[in-house]
Amino acid sequence: MTTVESGIADRKISRRRLLSMTSFLGLLGASGVVVWSNLLFFKPRVTYGEPSRFRIGSPDAFPLGTRLPLGRQRVTIVRNENGVAAISNTCTHLGCVVATTEIGFACPCHGSRFDPDGTVLGGPAPRPLPWYQLSLSPGGEIEVDTSAEVAPGSYLKV
Amino acid sequence: MSRDQGLLANLRDLPKNVWRSLFRNPLPSSDLGRSQTSFSNFFLHIHPVKTHVHSLRPAYTFGLGVIAFSLFIILTATGILLMFYYVPSVEQAHDRMLDLSGTVAFGVLLRNMHRWAAHGMVAIVLLHMARVFFTGSYKPPRELNWVIGIVLLLLTFFASFTGYLLPWDQLAYWAITVGTSIAAYAPGVGELIRFVLLGDRIVGQEALIRFYVLHVAVLPAIITILVGVHFWRIRKDGGLSRPASADLPEAQSEFPEAVEGKLEGLAARSKIQKKKSFGVLGMVRGPFNKVGNTPDNTVYSWPHLFTAELFCFALTVLIVLIVAMVFNAPLEAPADPTHPPNPSKAPWYFLGLQEMVSYSAFWGGVGIPTLFVLGLLLVPYLDRRNKGVGEWFSRHRLLANTLFVLFLLVNLVLIIIGTFFRGPNWSLVTPW
Repeated sequence: MTTVESGIADRKISRRRLLSMTSFLGLLGASGVVVWSNLLFFKPRVTYGEPSRFRIGSPDAFPLGTRLPLGRQRVTIVRNENGVAAISNTCTHLGCVVATTEIGFACPCHGSRFDPDGTVLGGPAPRPLPWYQLSLSPGGEIEVDTSAEVAPGSYLKV
Repeated sequence: MSRDQGLLANLRDLPKNVWRSLFRNPLPSSDLGRSQTSFSNFFLHIHPVKTHVHSLRPAYTFGLGVIAFSLFIILTATGILLMFYYVPSVEQAHDRMLDLSGTVAFGVLLRNMHRWAAHGMVAIVLLHMARVFFTGSYKPPRELNWVIGIVLLLLTFFASFTGYLLPWDQLAYWAITVGTSIAAYAPGVGELIRFVLLGDRIVGQEALIRFYVLHVAVLPAIITILVGVHFWRIRKDGGLSRPASADLPEAQSEFPEAVEGKLEGLAARSKIQKKKSFGVLGMVRGPFNKVGNTPDNTVYSWPHLFTAELFCFALTVLIVLIVAMVFNAPLEAPADPTHPPNPSKAPWYFLGLQEMVSYSAFWGGVGIPTLFVLGLLLVPYLDRRNKGVGEWFSRHRLLANTLFVLFLLVNLVLIIIGTFFRGPNWSLVTPW
């Protein structure tokens, strides 16, 4: 026993301490990797719901004066003399779908109101309804991209 | 009795021996038996062998902790049964709810029990928190158990919230849309939190499966572990809080139950003291360095504590059963992601939050709730004066109790406004 004890005392770090320190540091690093990889895991790379880019048909389908809410895609297609635009139907307050009214849009959940261009008229909504980017596909169809916002008042000339 | 008696004799004794291996102690008739029953049974040994008489007074705890745990047991049992028929898919979930009433035996009863027990658990856990506060029971050394309790409160909210989505009706869909949008107001990481929680930009199939897994596996597991720690800490912190006076010799007259039939025990104790070394039975008389030095105002947990707990559990089951048979859990039309109902309301315990959110989404939904939770977590570390512990509405704690009453009142008033006084477009209406 004495030889073993003196052997340990001779080293600067005992074997047991080295083992426990490396184990501890290894597990600490591993936990960091686990947390990081779990965050990546839980953030989906592909979503299975409505695609953010979709085509809504040729401009002729939207005559002047059209205000057509698309339920599933949650946008309202507007056509006037300036061109075509897509305004979000999702209230900027808490994500409810706004209803089309005479004044523009109204949210049933917490009473936010917007004018026909999506500007906030009243209620708790902090931001105007976003406008989405439109483009013409090679086939002449209008393509909406809800992942790209444009400044309110930006119309697609058709 | 010889064990070496041949196979035939063993077969003859089989039922008796199986029974004895299961129930090692006969129904106790002595103090030794009462101790051994608590010691040697896995399910009972989380209890102390002896309990202070003050902790057993119904008007001190109202059994709220035991009732909350009873509701959790009911929720686990009914929840597991419901899982056998539920499918977490947007096409099927709502139909499965309807099937419960049409094709599953006791389906409606189980769903009603689960729904009402869930609401009950939220309410009882809140009342339990109020009890602990008003009796000053969060003070040292019980700070950590208060913090665990607050975490359990938040987990109860989250478990209830995730369960809310599963019926996939209009109420579920829009309550979760609103609730997760509140989370999106957290500065910096809000949008990411919502995206990860929902697994998509809006509530849909991904959100349903995520909430389902959280609801049936992740949250119950965490709650179970923390409840275990919560119970264990009660004992490590010296049992339920009680006033210091409850351990004084003069208090003995207040607790006649503790003295009754103890002459035998008292004689035994004096013998133990002479030897200055304590057997297990000496230790269970109380904290063992105090043996013989403090009045023993405790009684055996079997039967005193166990009877009280059994009664609370039975009463909880009975009330949940009756409520479930009289009132049906609501089920609205299937979720329609294009048409929110007007008004869209969150679960009742979040309606105070929703009411605040209608004034300012950030402050109402994130800022003030965060301050509330932080305040609750820090209470035992800010208020450490050990006066007025173990007594309802102690005069020593006038300020703390007044502040807490105000805190509860503000939340209650907001919840009442949100529940009864908000109509279409979240405009003020009168409920009568």
